[in-house]
Amino acid sequence: MKLAATKPITLVLARELALAALLLVGVSFVVFVILYLSPGDPFSVLLEGQISNHAARAGLREALGVPRTWYVQYLSWLGNLLQGNFGTSIRTGLPVFGEIARVALSTLYLTLGSMLVTLLIAVPIALHSSVRGTTALNWLLTMLAYVVSALPVFWLGYVAVYVFIHQFGVFPLTARIAASSERTWPFSLLPIFVLGIGNGTVSEVVRHLREEMSRVMGEDYIRTARAKGASVWRHAFKEGLLIPMTEIIASKIPFILGGAVIVEQVFNWPGMGRMAWQAAQDRDFPVIMGIAMIAATLVRLGSLLQRVVYVAVNPRASNERRGAAWAE
Amino acid sequence: MKRYSQTTGEVGESSDLSPWKTADALDLVYVGYGLLIVVLVLVSYVLGAFTWLPYDPEQIRVDLLNAPPGSAGHLLGTDFLGRDILSRLIVGIQAYFLPGLLAIVISLLLGTTLGALAGYRSGEVETLVTYFNNLVDSFPRLVLILLVIAAFKPGIYYIMVVVGVTGVPAVASLIAGKIEFLAQKNFIEAAHVLGLPSRVILLKHILWHHCMPLLVIQATIGMGEAILIETSLSYLGFGVQEPTPSWGNMVQAGANYFFQGKFWPSTAPALSILFTILGFHLLGDGLNGILEGSAGK
Amino acid sequence: MGAPLLEIENLRTYFHSRSKRAFIRAVDGVTMVIARGETLSVVGESGSGKSVTALSIMGLLDAGPGVISGKITFRTDGGERNLLHDLEHYVTLGEQDGRIMEVSKDEAGWRKQVERIMAEVRGKEIAMIFQNPKSALNPFVTVGHQITEAIRLHTPTKHPREAKERSLYWLERVKMDSPRLRFDNYPYGLSGGMCQRAMIAMALSSEPALLIADEPTTGLDATIQSTIVGLLAELKSELGIATLLISHDIRVVSRLADDVAVMYGGTVVEYGPAPEILGARFGLKHPYTAALLASRPSAQNVEEKGGLPAIEGEVPDPIDVPRGCRFYARCNRVTEDIRDACARHEPALKELTPGHHVRCWLYGD
Repeated sequence: MKLAATKPITLVLARELALAALLLVGVSFVVFVILYLSPGDPFSVLLEGQISNHAARAGLREALGVPRTWYVQYLSWLGNLLQGNFGTSIRTGLPVFGEIARVALSTLYLTLGSMLVTLLIAVPIALHSSVRGTTALNWLLTMLAYVVSALPVFWLGYVAVYVFIHQFGVFPLTARIAASSERTWPFSLLPIFVLGIGNGTVSEVVRHLREEMSRVMGEDYIRTARAKGASVWRHAFKEGLLIPMTEIIASKIPFILGGAVIVEQVFNWPGMGRMAWQAAQDRDFPVIMGIAMIAATLVRLGSLLQRVVYVAVNPRASNERRGAAWAE
Repeated sequence: MKRYSQTTGEVGESSDLSPWKTADALDLVYVGYGLLIVVLVLVSYVLGAFTWLPYDPEQIRVDLLNAPPGSAGHLLGTDFLGRDILSRLIVGIQAYFLPGLLAIVISLLLGTTLGALAGYRSGEVETLVTYFNNLVDSFPRLVLILLVIAAFKPGIYYIMVVVGVTGVPAVASLIAGKIEFLAQKNFIEAAHVLGLPSRVILLKHILWHHCMPLLVIQATIGMGEAILIETSLSYLGFGVQEPTPSWGNMVQAGANYFFQGKFWPSTAPALSILFTILGFHLLGDGLNGILEGSAGK
Repeated sequence: MGAPLLEIENLRTYFHSRSKRAFIRAVDGVTMVIARGETLSVVGESGSGKSVTALSIMGLLDAGPGVISGKITFRTDGGERNLLHDLEHYVTLGEQDGRIMEVSKDEAGWRKQVERIMAEVRGKEIAMIFQNPKSALNPFVTVGHQITEAIRLHTPTKHPREAKERSLYWLERVKMDSPRLRFDNYPYGLSGGMCQRAMIAMALSSEPALLIADEPTTGLDATIQSTIVGLLAELKSELGIATLLISHDIRVVSRLADDVAVMYGGTVVEYGPAPEILGARFGLKHPYTAALLASRPSAQNVEEKGGLPAIEGEVPDPIDVPRGCRFYARCNRVTEDIRDACARHEPALKELTPGHHVRCWLYGD
């Protein structure tokens, strides 16, 4: 943080990028260790997936020396990862990267959409309760956020399917079974709303936003804004809402991705979550490893974006050099 | 209308009232509800462990399928195989209770250790702990669990180790923050001057006196998360398998009947999940408001 | 003394300590008048209720119960209004032998009422500057934008370009160096003194009838303090704007004030023309004022007494306000004749000479 506060924007971002890269290397190492420790040597399977040519594989083994140590295995696997070679799926025999890329967009669509839904629910509740104190409506809304966060998302999915598809007939019953073929936009809204409501983070998002907004409302500069008759909301927006909002969303990406695994299962939604579920069932290591890597990359990307917003919004973080000369 | 009043007598002399006496009424309600749930879970766990149940949870009765609550002595009705839902709900607690405790113990032990290290010795140790926290936070918990399932086998204790480890960053950063806060208030320096060995200071003064409420709060939150994960996984088919009941696989098993309008077999376990997780959340937040809120004032 | 601009009558602002289950009687029956074009200075130790008085006028208090009784009459050319209009409809007080022991307040309703009353007043008729100017300016908005915002809100100048010209004028007026450059700066890039100049420019830019300066030099370096006081003195003579100056620093007060109100434990203990209250010659003084003046650093004090005489004892706990005179426990001028009265009954504010009031049993009938 200190370093970030003294460097101009590009350096800050370079530092964040380096940190993200370092973390992703760590992630890959954790993934490797889990698989390395697993019984049944999945790595011979893995390398077979990554190197399709039989002769090349033999050559590689020779070049690396037999028996190969764990770090050689790790480095060769990491090297392949960096070239976009995630190996081939044991189940389908297709390259993992292509398989994931095929479904990644629909998961991204689902998760981004549900983040928006979460915010649409949480922000008004948080803003309302940050200024009004304890009122009946406020209590009701807070309770609602709690209940929604404890709701099992799969059951919420059933309710949604039953109400909107079976009762109101927005879709034929088959839509659930053959979702990919009959997907139309209102149908895709359903899982987005279910995940947005039921991802279990609403009450935490509300609490974080409320606490930050209340804290900012107590700042001296907000008192100044009130004393001069200006809109406190306008003055509190950046520090009280924009920054905390990006913070909390970035930190909740893992939860939303995890929730996507379940929601995709409920709605038969062809995404990374369903693929991960299938891969875990089949013990299809290359696929689940690839998904873990991609998911971790998305998480890091989220916090990188959060830092970008923070640096862009906060003049202290981006313009320090200009100001430093004039500081006391 | 908000009422304020002053008790008569010498106010200045009296010491501060305990946080429980001045607590927000809402926080007390939260804690009360949470404790009720904790007691219910504990009692049900014991009942399930000794199989003191109204019915055999796996006994099939074809003459009584999807019976509504209250029918023929089945207080919460029966499921699609005529099995008593109440008994199955009680036994379902076995699926998460001990594994959940394991996850909590791992989170708290590891989290406290790392947090204490980071808070007490800044510099490289702190950087390392921060790196560890960020690393663990990079994984979506469920994806990491699926990876472990693929690598090993779908055993609940493997899964709960993952849940425990992924719960470490939250505990660690809270403890580290608390210790740094206390250090600013010169608690630690004062203790140093007294010449106590640093280990004693760290453990006794800080962890016991100041972090205990935090750890209790984190434990309740951890239990809520463990229940959420266990039910999600047994819903996905990786946890407890039919016919042994778990709340997650009960929801899943009732799904087909749900769409035929027989909501109850699926909804009863779903509501159990809802009220239980809600109880642990509210207990944690209520305690936080009472114990930590007053500590900050 | 000129025509009254703002009259505060018997203002009470209480807070509530939850852990002690008792009232914090921050402002407990304050009466004072600010005349047009003159500077009234409120002095007192920290905790005496000076700042809370100012925030009560502006309706900027959030903690409950806040303002519970009193009347604040604000007289401008546009007419006369009570800034606490209808307060009694929102508050019910329960008294027990002369002390308020219970307060019920419709806080949501009162908040709305305050916003209604103050919408036309805040920033426009009454502007305010604060201590610690660096944190009082919005760190996310440029200095220039914060000034133009006030101008566009409260003056007929609405066009952005004109508003900018106007704010540059005010930045020059407060002697900000290279105002055009500073206009686009964020507050963190400026020194505390520059921030206070910007705050003053912002407050004056809407040309208010009254300026409330709440400890304007606190949180600044000693040298900067005196330049800011100099600036305020200059602006006072040039603009003739009425000012409520809150300060614990008697040197600041003596340079700027026309009238002085000395506050102690939530009440005004002495009130009158500045020369009479601050002057060394004038003998009739409240013992607290005398002690306050004696504790001020001056060559005479240091030479004669070999150091600064501190006032012994502590400021009374606003939670546990004594029954009698609030200064009784620390007073060194209690005589046997009045001891009983001092301990049991709070003296009333008595007019000694025209315009000079003291709350002390020494100056009895």
